[in-house]
Amino acid sequence: MLRGLRGECSWRRFNTICIPRLYNRGVNVLAPAGTTDLIGAAVVAALIGGLAAVERKGALQLMLSRPIVLAPLLGWALGDPRGGLLLGVPLELIFLGGVNLGGSLPDNETLLAAALTSAVVPAGIAAGTGVDPPLAALALALLFPLALAGRRLERATEVRNAELSDLALARTHGGDARAVRLNLRGLLLPFAATAAICFCCALISPLFAATRIHCPPRLVSGLTGAWHAVWALAAATAIRAIRDPRAMVLSAVAFAAVLGAAALLKALP
Amino acid sequence: MTEAVQTAARAMRRLSARTLLRVFWRSLFLQAAWNPRGMQNLGFAFAMQPALRELYPDPAARARAAERHLEFFNCHPYLAAAIVGGAVRLEEEVARGLRDPRSVSAFKSALGPPFAALGDGFFWLALRPAAALVAAITEPYLGLWCVLIFLAIYNGVHLAARAWLFFAGYRRGEGIVAVVSRAHVPQSTGLVKGCAAVLAGAIAGRSVLIAGLPNRPWHAVLIGVLILAAVAFLPRVRLAAALYIALALGLVLGGGFL
Repeated sequence: MLRGLRGECSWRRFNTICIPRLYNRGVNVLAPAGTTDLIGAAVVAALIGGLAAVERKGALQLMLSRPIVLAPLLGWALGDPRGGLLLGVPLELIFLGGVNLGGSLPDNETLLAAALTSAVVPAGIAAGTGVDPPLAALALALLFPLALAGRRLERATEVRNAELSDLALARTHGGDARAVRLNLRGLLLPFAATAAICFCCALISPLFAATRIHCPPRLVSGLTGAWHAVWALAAATAIRAIRDPRAMVLSAVAFAAVLGAAALLKALP
Repeated sequence: MTEAVQTAARAMRRLSARTLLRVFWRSLFLQAAWNPRGMQNLGFAFAMQPALRELYPDPAARARAAERHLEFFNCHPYLAAAIVGGAVRLEEEVARGLRDPRSVSAFKSALGPPFAALGDGFFWLALRPAAALVAAITEPYLGLWCVLIFLAIYNGVHLAARAWLFFAGYRRGEGIVAVVSRAHVPQSTGLVKGCAAVLAGAIAGRSVLIAGLPNRPWHAVLIGVLILAAVAFLPRVRLAAALYIALALGLVLGGGFL
């Protein structure tokens, strides 16, 4: 099926050539209203993703852009909040230790969470499986580089902001006190870039849906295992995120206590 | 203008509550134009603008004051609320002619680094992980409500602290240092980090149990080994590499490809 998509690059060609092909092969990978729904979902994803990118560092910082909030929120807007939550919790744990201290930049968890949810939730709805571990693992493997790309985006934003700062300084030096309002222009680049990425991710969701539908059972089982492994990594990064000398000991005690309690409950008649 | 009239005018230069609220609101955008050269300089000047507009009716004097606040400034964005509040108080005194303008810069540069260290330690490295871990551990029982738990725990503390620090900074001016030192932030940080570590261990244990269901004890053992290996090797392996190794291992073992 995916062979049929090769060579198609523009959205118009995708609409007119690829989608009928997918239908002809007995695969319905679009939401009920077809491309209209898909474009609507892409616009919603772009708006929410863009706003989250702004909230992450530049405005408010109420943690609405953290994966544990953003993924269910975007999932709700796209029609499956529980699917968003399935993605958001492990992502939150994986990026728990990422802290923006001074000039250091962590991986961009907001961009990844927004892009992943934009792609996976519509795909899960279209595939009829919902957001399940195989789909989540597949999409995470393909989209994780966006977290690294997000860091570059942030660096580019900082360079642009330095220019804004210089401009504001020059204007105030010339007697224009209102030049400090240039501060808000610093929000534009993260908004626009993240919105564009989320828009594109929502548009490629039919490809994820088609891939999920055609996954053989053995691959589904493998991808489910991969999702368990993601959870294992998430748990380990969460332990590592607590920068305290007692953290290892306390975590080890709690780990043993949970396993011990489970064994005890199983042993009870 | 006579000496008496000038004195009366200076005495009246106190900011209105509305202006203070506007400064506080704008302080929530402190990092909108964060940059490596001035860091939060533009955000700080932006936050101060409503106060400066009221304190300096003369545009040239206002521009000079704005330029003062465009100097380098870096702090934790929440703890910076105290410095913004304190700077507003000091600017009032500068506008009344009771203080040298350079004292505002000295106040900002003296408090920025220590407050940044306090805020980073408490909010970024303790409260946020702890709130997220509470939400993650309650997720199987509360479902989507766990998101509200996270937001309530985090923002309950964060917004209260930010508002309190701003108004305490405004009331006390340079005395804000004593107020913050009485807040026992380092002790609270240690306590919250301890709770977070326990929750992280419990989540790791739960991941092992879930992987073993239904009747797959070897999966549980493999996930347990993977967690221990990740804890041991994560500082030496980049997150992206660790993720792809974990995905590949899970895929191979889960799909029986070996």
